[in-house]
Amino acid sequence: MIDFHVHKPSEGGEGGRYDSRPYTAADYVAVMDELGIDVSVVFTLDGLWHPSPAENDRVAAWVAEAPDRLVAFGTVDPRLPDAAAETERCLGELGMRGLKFHPWIQAFCPHEACMDPIAEVAAAHGAPILFHDGTPPYSTPLQIAALARRHPDVPMVLGHGGLQDHWREAIAAVTGTPNLWICLCGTPNAGMRAVVARCPSQRLLFGTDAGLGAAVSQPFAAERIAEVEQLEIEEEVRAAMLDGNARALLRLEEQVG
Amino acid sequence: MTLVFDAHVRLGVGRDASLTAGELLAAMDRLGIDRALISPQERCLAVDHRDGNAFVAEAARRSGDRLLPYAVASPWRGRGALDELARAADDGAVALALDPAVQGFDLLDGQADPLVEAAAARGWPIYVRTGTPSFALPLQLAELAVRHPQASFVMGKSGATDFWIDARPALERAPNLYADTAYAPWDVVLAGLAAPPIGWGRLVFSTDMPNSAPAIERARHDAWPLGDEARAAILGGTLQRLLP
Ligand SMILES: [Zn+2]
Repeated sequence: MIDFHVHKPSEGGEGGRYDSRPYTAADYVAVMDELGIDVSVVFTLDGLWHPSPAENDRVAAWVAEAPDRLVAFGTVDPRLPDAAAETERCLGELGMRGLKFHPWIQAFCPHEACMDPIAEVAAAHGAPILFHDGTPPYSTPLQIAALARRHPDVPMVLGHGGLQDHWREAIAAVTGTPNLWICLCGTPNAGMRAVVARCPSQRLLFGTDAGLGAAVSQPFAAERIAEVEQLEIEEEVRAAMLDGNARALLRLEEQVG
Repeated sequence: MTLVFDAHVRLGVGRDASLTAGELLAAMDRLGIDRALISPQERCLAVDHRDGNAFVAEAARRSGDRLLPYAVASPWRGRGALDELARAADDGAVALALDPAVQGFDLLDGQADPLVEAAAARGWPIYVRTGTPSFALPLQLAELAVRHPQASFVMGKSGATDFWIDARPALERAPNLYADTAYAPWDVVLAGLAAPPIGWGRLVFSTDMPNSAPAIERARHDAWPLGDEARAAILGGTLQRLLP
């Protein structure tokens, strides 16, 4: 199983959230073993509020503790003049496999022009860009689809499958945008069923959002895994969503996994 | 024995999820849920209120007291809505359900106030679905609750997902507001809502069938390390006390 939505725990301190206590990658890999997760795609948490090269370095270092089990995504402030250069550093020098953005926290709209140079770097590396989605004003699925349509060579991912209120819109966005993928993560069960029934099965992904919890054990991630395992769908589709699709998108066979 | 009482289920044919009374009772048996408050589906919240009220009243009558009906009416109907609530009350309703996102009103535009007053006069709790911006938000519901201190309000979905952050300030603002546990992980959300001085006495369990995975909703309350008294209150004791 590949968990396509995991956060490195917050470093805590003044800029931290959720009273998150930092834990090591090794400790989290032990939790992954218990949860039955083979590979996790890891984003920053602190860096959503304070994106910086230093935080990208920390994510890369955290993941480097277990390179066969953890895959790193970077983030940048898209309005900074060096955003494209830092994107290039993430995907090149740091060996990250993609990018994660949380537009309403990072204060931009997904289809703003400042995302274009970043998407061009991602295209050159064949790297996907994942977005938080499901929340107005600046994280709606069709806003992300608008960017994806400008960059048909870049796979883009709805990181939350529309959440509670936008999963119907997410289905419309994904079915109308060939390079847009959808990660079920916090989508309500009725929405999960509809997404699986109506979206192309080769572009379905699954994620837990682990890392938001204060303790390494992540009880809510276990809950989300139980929910997707019990979801009444074809086993072939479940296998693709939980494993094969993510491997293809991350091109895992080429390097790790 | 702990009473397990589901504070919100929608019965009937919905846009993307449906549930029959037989399916609901079977799920309750499977999950150890004794009783459930049942609302009709979205169509009946939006337009066909009388149909909806009659439908859940009939399901409740056939359930041997396991299912208890919500009444529904549109705040836009004015006087007509009060007549509909009276009819539902005669038919066994014990609570009022409102859904600003489906019914198209603003919690603070004044239109819901006569319904709230009518519910409070009957001693009914009021379930209000929250989480959808811009007009179904926890803090707006808290203001409505402050305006009606004699009524009890259940904050449906507790702002899920990105308005979970508002659920705690909403509980702090209005002491007559109760948080719904549906969709909310215990470690990331519920433990924070139940922390002192609010406390576990302000949380009520619901499965929100058929929109959710009910086994997951129910299992959460066994996984959450809580004292027996707190667990029993959240799973049913508090809701039972809110009913007439
Ligand atoms: Zn996340």
